[in-house]
Amino acid sequence: MAIRAEHINYLYGEGTAFEQYALKDVSFEIHDGQFIGVIGHTGSGKSTLIQHLNGLLRASSGKIYYNNEDIYQDGYNMKMLRSRVGLVFQYPEHQLFEVDVFSDVCFGPKNQGLSKEEVEQRAREALIQVGLEERFWKQSPFELSGGQKRRVAIAGVLAMRPEVLILDEPTAGLDPRGRDEILEQISALHKEKKMTILLVSHSMEDIARYADRILVMSHGEKIFDAPPKKVFRHYRELEQIGLAAPQITYVIQRLRDGGIPLKEDITTVEEAKAGILELLGKAGGEV
Amino acid sequence: MIREITLGQYYPVDSVLHRMDPRTKLFGTMIFIVSLFLADSLEAYGVATIFLVLVIRLSKVPFSFMIRGLKAILFLLLISVSFNLFLTPGTEIFRIGFLKLTWEGLRLAGFMALRLIYLVIGSSVMTLTTTPNELTDGLEKSMGFLKRVGVPVHEISMMMSIALRFIPILVEETDKIMKAQMARGADFESGNLIQKAKSMVPLLVPLFISAFRRATDLAMAMEARCYHGGEGRTKMKPLRYGRRDYLGYLAYLVYLAVMILLRWY
Amino acid sequence: MGIIRASKLIYDYIRRDEDDKVEEVNRAIDGLDLDIKAGDFVAILGHNGSGKSTFAKQVNGILLPTEGTVWISGMKTTDESHIWDIRKTAGMVFQNPDNQIIGNIVEEDVGFGPENLGVPTEEIWRRVDESLEAVGMTAYRLKSPNKLSGGQKQRVAIAGVMAMRPQCIILDEPTAMLDPNGRKEVIRTIRELNQKEGITVLLITHYMEEVIWADRVIVMDDGRLVMDGTPREIFSRVKELKDYRLDVPQVTELAYELKQEGVELPDGILTVEELTEHLLPMLQTARAEE
Repeated sequence: MAIRAEHINYLYGEGTAFEQYALKDVSFEIHDGQFIGVIGHTGSGKSTLIQHLNGLLRASSGKIYYNNEDIYQDGYNMKMLRSRVGLVFQYPEHQLFEVDVFSDVCFGPKNQGLSKEEVEQRAREALIQVGLEERFWKQSPFELSGGQKRRVAIAGVLAMRPEVLILDEPTAGLDPRGRDEILEQISALHKEKKMTILLVSHSMEDIARYADRILVMSHGEKIFDAPPKKVFRHYRELEQIGLAAPQITYVIQRLRDGGIPLKEDITTVEEAKAGILELLGKAGGEV
Repeated sequence: MIREITLGQYYPVDSVLHRMDPRTKLFGTMIFIVSLFLADSLEAYGVATIFLVLVIRLSKVPFSFMIRGLKAILFLLLISVSFNLFLTPGTEIFRIGFLKLTWEGLRLAGFMALRLIYLVIGSSVMTLTTTPNELTDGLEKSMGFLKRVGVPVHEISMMMSIALRFIPILVEETDKIMKAQMARGADFESGNLIQKAKSMVPLLVPLFISAFRRATDLAMAMEARCYHGGEGRTKMKPLRYGRRDYLGYLAYLVYLAVMILLRWY
Repeated sequence: MGIIRASKLIYDYIRRDEDDKVEEVNRAIDGLDLDIKAGDFVAILGHNGSGKSTFAKQVNGILLPTEGTVWISGMKTTDESHIWDIRKTAGMVFQNPDNQIIGNIVEEDVGFGPENLGVPTEEIWRRVDESLEAVGMTAYRLKSPNKLSGGQKQRVAIAGVMAMRPQCIILDEPTAMLDPNGRKEVIRTIRELNQKEGITVLLITHYMEEVIWADRVIVMDDGRLVMDGTPREIFSRVKELKDYRLDVPQVTELAYELKQEGVELPDGILTVEELTEHLLPMLQTARAEE
């Protein structure tokens, strides 16, 4: 088991008149190798939550365990935790600062106190993982395109070789192709490197495609924690908290309401296509 | 936390003070500050207190907002009070080692503390009842005479107003970049002075780049909305003195006269 | 001639070294011809770097053509004497909501444009009131912009443009930095302005769901206009769109995929309702036959 959170509460402005719960009694477990989608509208507490998992924020009460060790115990090595649980913030390209791409990616492993060879080895590996061609490595990060900058920033976290990778809306502001490229790379890290992934996203379509489990946050509370298909079944409740299920869910619901026996848990275009074709008695009805 | 910055934090309610011309309030704040330096007796501080309480009442801003600004000067307050307490010569009350507490010290420290506290509250009254834009407008208009000697008064006040708008945004951004670098193992706390200074590079470079980017964007947005300097510009909220302003000036002057009388007679 | 017209428009980003010698020329717009009718809601699609944002900046004279001409209401953007008329005729809303709000109070920001135009005070107030009402932000008029959500900030920015009484608004990816709720809020506002006030809208985006309401969709690639038509026409060409690095809404894609397999569906289905309306009878008949 990678992470266990027990009854996390987080209060803003504790002790003042403005005291407010940002997180309220949140508990969950994350197992090695899972791909978890975290969703919730702006201000639902999802960004606050992920900052707890690598110790950047400290819970007002409750406990967090990483590999069964209490991260709030005296003498716990927070720096080590941060390299194990990599966190990629929203618009991570805004944190780039070095003269060239390669040195920027070296920043993380260098802070881990590794040897120069090891640092460079990891930086190279990370840049290859995010698919940035070598001819860009010696360029200033500020001369790259938006999508490339974003990949450099993600490489900067990957270079620390985290076991868990948390990404806060890694596709925000990118065009469809850039978005798909980043998501495919994240998916590859999950499949090939067996990395545990936490993906914060507004896009239900993306989450439906990649995640095997979804945490839904609303007003600082965890309201759903289940596989996507189960969560999307509650699309009416999701709408009430300002979210929505993927478009396909609505198509399927409407057809089911019309008496068509399609499976309720269809959420992607491929599944819908296969299901509908099968009923129409056409080819392509496998899956 | 960003939420705690009171300076430049307008408290939107409708009161006589909110509707008063910013120039009147600037003048009044100046008078009040001068009066605090004139005050040297219990009676004088009593009058200042009554005056301040009246003004706060008129402003309709909750008292808790007024005293928030005090947090920032708490340290300064403690130092100046303890210096005055123990280092003022006079009739001794008791002594600890070479430090002796005197009646004169007690009096001076008390006055000093009151002066500092009133100074902060007095200026907070102004910033809480005046939008930053009104404030810069007020300054622009009051300092208008400087334009004749070539001081770009409009530009300066525009810059001040924009700075006020962007300070909270940049504070938030600093916090975000700092966390992002900490997630990459950066350490902003330990080490000696040189190491600490060096560790600021990953924070400062992105911050400057972001500030430049925002400035470029903003300049473009301002141009797109037809901004071309102060020439030919009209005002949405032009400064106009009304009856309440004349009354305000009168009240301030009467108050100043009383304070002067208390000082010299 | 329409309200916005571009003819043989070319724009080069030129990078110079320290000695002012040309180091690199980057052609962002490459021979664009376009004519936009007053009152239309026009969406411009294209991936990052397709030239769509550069075009937006041409429309209100922030950038001027390297070659060719842009006319706004018959005024050439290169004609310096009309630059303020052009900017108030074609108002602009940018991507980052934080970097375009100048005022420290919502209403003061909305008044910024009219102030610059030298509008008399009483008239400024009238315009601010109307503009805030039009975007539904009257309740927030005394708030600090920093306390607003992304969608609300963008609505304030739109009100700021409306207060200049434009005939046309250009929005350069106004929803790229917003969450789904903010996006909906902004698109709803823009549609209302288009329908109720008759404002010509030029919406630049890469969210396909946002353009299904447009009267006309233009796709740009490599600085050129490559597709131009109604949303239905454009969205029936799924493969082409994908080649231009664009995406289609899930329902459109599903309809397209089914059609490829021989299911009889009309071209360019845009909404869930449309798709199910056509699929349901088909599926019901298929079931009855079993």
